Amino acid sequence: MSAPPVDEVERIVVAALTGNRDAESRMLVALRPGVLAVLRFGAFHRWVDAEDLTQETLHIVVERVRARTIDDPRKVFAFAAATARNLALNAARKMLRQQTVVDSELVDELAQNLEMEQSDLSEQDDRQLAEAVAALLEELPTERDRQLLMRFYLDGTDKQQLCRELGLSPKHFDRVLMRARTRLRTIIERRAPHLALLPRALSLFLALATTFTFWVRHFGHW
Amino acid sequence: MKTLDRQSLEEQTRLVSRYVAGDLSRSERAEFEAWLIASPELAGEVEMERRLRRGIASAARRGWLNRSASRPVMSRQWRVAIAASLVAAVAVGWVLAVPGRDRAQLAESNRPAKQLPRLASRVVQLASVRGAAGAPDIEVARADAPVELVLQPDVVVLTCEDGSIEFECPSGAAPATPQYPEYEADVVNRRRAALIWRSPRQTPVSGTQLSFALRDSASLEPGDYDVIVRGHAPDHEEVVGRFVLRIN
Repeated sequence: MSAPPVDEVERIVVAALTGNRDAESRMLVALRPGVLAVLRFGAFHRWVDAEDLTQETLHIVVERVRARTIDDPRKVFAFAAATARNLALNAARKMLRQQTVVDSELVDELAQNLEMEQSDLSEQDDRQLAEAVAALLEELPTERDRQLLMRFYLDGTDKQQLCRELGLSPKHFDRVLMRARTRLRTIIERRAPHLALLPRALSLFLALATTFTFWVRHFGHW
Repeated sequence: MKTLDRQSLEEQTRLVSRYVAGDLSRSERAEFEAWLIASPELAGEVEMERRLRRGIASAARRGWLNRSASRPVMSRQWRVAIAASLVAAVAVGWVLAVPGRDRAQLAESNRPAKQLPRLASRVVQLASVRGAAGAPDIEVARADAPVELVLQPDVVVLTCEDGSIEFECPSGAAPATPQYPEYEADVVNRRRAALIWRSPRQTPVSGTQLSFALRDSASLEPGDYDVIVRGHAPDHEEVVGRFVLRIN
């Protein structure tokens, strides 16, 4: 199942804004990965349940689309992103109030730490992911690309310095990262497809569940 | 948000790595996230960026990455030219400076010593009261970093069975129950505010003993790291200790 291109998503949202029920369902499916990504990588992702808040965000978005107070699909995207951020912020505040966190500086540090991983991978999955990345690095066409990835991701060397030292333009640097992600996706889909495919299947299911819940709650029937 | 065209999407795709690293400004982030909502394709890129980061860190922890070549490179011509110059300079210096009969003896004495094997394990006890302000609690030189750095923080508070913290429990016995059933440790890079390593959760042994084994500390970049120890209960968690690790 491939993701619809961005202009297709825009057309779906335009149709949903006209009250097309089928388009609404497709809109939820199309928006869900993005909302989930915002919640999983946003500033407070350490403190939120991304799956739960994704449902809540999409619910609010559907209500807003139905209310016809938005007429531009791009505003729907911005509204969904802002809603996800606000819900995450509120959830984080609530969580921090419940916890005995002894160091406010530490709270800020943790809350802003975007690389703080949630433990969403088992040891076996983590191992498979490590194997996939090791394979990716092994098959890179040049030693320079390998160095770029390891020094950027492991050593934290910044992009400007790496471009200078490796004789790359910033665009070329970006292309190396993009190619690495694309190649990693292929390797993961071949070696450990559940690491790549599960979120898509789950995405479809949960979006349909949201639509169903919304319709039954508001109209008493499906 | 710009027009939803392919070129704008590609511009945003170039920001994926900075977004996941938390390097975007507030306005850049807002715009990027609106694009994320609009484009499942971009969301897929973000997800894969996260997998890539995690996978590289995990592979490094497992010692699967060959870091020997991970140094800045110069062009092949430059390398050959510099190597040739060095060889020539050393050869000329050798002939001019060292009398013939001494050469063999000198060559023997200058033979490099065998590289010392890396220390397998180093255990560091971390007191609950930290040292002088600003001073690191643990210092490790990358050159002789142990294969396994074992951190044993003394941070477990013993409580009475009802969870109260007393010198003496109502039964007259001394407190013997760890305050939290599980503990975990994080190592956070201070400069980048990035989580480098998280331990599995563990239950204190013999009442208060915790032991977190950080493997391959030599792969950490030089700098200061926070070692944060948290206690976990079913309904909440709490930071119970924080130490500074310096990699030189």
